[in-house]
Amino acid sequence: MRSDKHVPYLFLAPALLGLVLFRLYPIFLALWESLFVTGFGPAGGRSFVGLENFQFLFEDFVFWRSVKATAILTIIINPVQIALALGLALLLQRKSRNIRLIRSLFLLPIGVALPIATVIWGLMLNPNQGLINGMLDVIGVSPQPFLTSEAQAIWAIVLIATWKGVAFWMLFLLAGLEDIPKSLYEAIRVDGANWFGRLRYVTMPLLRRTLLFVLVADTAANFVLIVPMIILTQGGPRQTTNVLMYEAYRSGFIFQDFGRSMAIVTLLTAITLAVIALQVLVLGDRRGQDK
Amino acid sequence: MIRKSLSIATLAFAAMSPAHAQESDDLSLLVGIWAVEPLTPWVEQFTEETGIGVEIQSFPFRDLLQTIEVRGSAKADDVGAIFVDAPLVPSYAVRGLIQPMAKYLEGADLEEIWAPATVDAGSWDGMMWAPPLNNSSQVLYYNRELLRAAEIQDPSSEESGRITWEELVENAKKITDSEQGIWGMVFDQISRYYQLQALPESAGGGSGVSDDGLSVEGMLTNDGWMKATQFYYDLFNTWNIAPKGIAPGQTAELFAAGKVGYFVGGHWNVSAFQEAGIDFGMALHPYFEGGTPVTGTNSWHIGIWGHTNRADEAAQLVKFLTASPEVALDYTEKHGQLPAHTAALLNIDISPKYNNMPKAGMKLATYEAANSAVTRARTPAFLEFEEIVNNSFEDIRNGGDPATVMGEAEQRIQSAMRRYR
Repeated sequence: MRSDKHVPYLFLAPALLGLVLFRLYPIFLALWESLFVTGFGPAGGRSFVGLENFQFLFEDFVFWRSVKATAILTIIINPVQIALALGLALLLQRKSRNIRLIRSLFLLPIGVALPIATVIWGLMLNPNQGLINGMLDVIGVSPQPFLTSEAQAIWAIVLIATWKGVAFWMLFLLAGLEDIPKSLYEAIRVDGANWFGRLRYVTMPLLRRTLLFVLVADTAANFVLIVPMIILTQGGPRQTTNVLMYEAYRSGFIFQDFGRSMAIVTLLTAITLAVIALQVLVLGDRRGQDK
Repeated sequence: MIRKSLSIATLAFAAMSPAHAQESDDLSLLVGIWAVEPLTPWVEQFTEETGIGVEIQSFPFRDLLQTIEVRGSAKADDVGAIFVDAPLVPSYAVRGLIQPMAKYLEGADLEEIWAPATVDAGSWDGMMWAPPLNNSSQVLYYNRELLRAAEIQDPSSEESGRITWEELVENAKKITDSEQGIWGMVFDQISRYYQLQALPESAGGGSGVSDDGLSVEGMLTNDGWMKATQFYYDLFNTWNIAPKGIAPGQTAELFAAGKVGYFVGGHWNVSAFQEAGIDFGMALHPYFEGGTPVTGTNSWHIGIWGHTNRADEAAQLVKFLTASPEVALDYTEKHGQLPAHTAALLNIDISPKYNNMPKAGMKLATYEAANSAVTRARTPAFLEFEEIVNNSFEDIRNGGDPATVMGEAEQRIQSAMRRYR
């Protein structure tokens, strides 16, 4: 009897070990390393400095600009991607003759690696010879600076990441939609509900769990989005795309200031967890409401 | 840009396999990808003469720098010698990424072997750390056809007629035709300190770093730097004579396509422009009226890897590749690079084949290297300095206010330098 109680833990052990090794250990390692600094002066070498790296960050305007860039990106990109993914899922849920082909076409961007997609979009968004400005010219719109503009660069990043990511998130929502029993739609149709009514009273409540998963996963993924910044903007212009993850990358891998880099990663992890906790709190299941 | 993404993939691969050279007893030599072809026969000859096997590992420019950092962080002992970008000599020396070469060159008159400016670039703290493999210089290219069409005289390759930036701007305004996509001027390494240091230096602003290499306070916001950065801003935002949104590497293609009047760039572009069939000439690098003619210089050096336990063998390799006149002559011929070795410099001076294009460009470059070249800022924090200054130039090109941008750059670099004090 006693041994039976331990069996589930034995089955769970490999997954828990993986979680500790690949999730929790790196988080604690980042926190630990953020307490050290490596100096190269006369009194150089690695030394324990406590929370000094965090203190430097809080006094550094570059860090606060990164916080702002991250906040702006998060506020724009997550609602845009989820709204588009949901819209696409609703459209592609319909049964029609060529629906498999149409779905496949929308799934194509998932197969393109993000660095390659970024390079192609970078060429298309080139302010001088880019395809997008060529198309705008045809409809009489003056050339846009895109990635070279403080106002437009973040939107260009949103565009690239959304083109690449929206179909991926749509897949989850499509699966969630397919899971909703058809009988509920028939019942509400009998009650005289139109398309909006069906969406409001059947689709959205029953899709809530899938939506929450997509929201949490999408938010976490976008907090660490740096490929377009590495390849196209290097955090510019004027640090408007210098998100926290890119600043951590730059501190660690370009400036070799791992203490600063780890301090940023630690704060970013804390921010991500706080935002996700808030999302779960606001959108999570409420007893009785979904029943 | 495609090259850049491939480079990132290469780097990731390199980072994942730090010990891939440990399988053989060969000494690893980390080089830039461009140097593999010209250096391979000489490395093979070195092996023949000494019995020391050498494995060449090559990387594109940025990946080479990042691979060195990654291998350095891992204290990898499977590297023998590395390519060192000249301004990074102090940084690598201070951080233990290279070992001093001084004891292996004892008794030698370094300035007899290499041009004095390149000896300076390879030294730090009074001793030689990484001898030079080659040097570099900047000149002014011009499109004869575009200048003729705008009724502009060819710029001079004589010191007495060296063109000023002010004259160049006036001419470039006449050449620019936005409807046709024709630009008045463009820099080769656009928004990079290597190329643009010439502007503040010519305006009397200095290198941007204090003499001890540990401060930038007031150095990036002095009158010379403000004049230079305002000039850079005006090129793209006021006079609109140079293009935004194109990266270094694309600018030479633009000139080769006949779309640019003046191209301020490296001497190594001559062959490519000749192959493109464009009617072009070369002249001395511009300077600010009332200021000093200044050009960017220095290139690649080779150093003994800081974590190797085969320093003596690595030093033999470094000496063979950098101090042999045969290697220097051959590398200059095959790679089209300005030599640092005095024997190869002498050859350019006396050999008749350097009187005709494309090799004649080398003579002009040699003149600039000897008369107007200024070494980049000497600081152990050069990695941080260069990255932030490059980003600042790019911000200014994109319309950022020069005073604000450079003020912020100063603060950021000053803060980054705290680890070196």
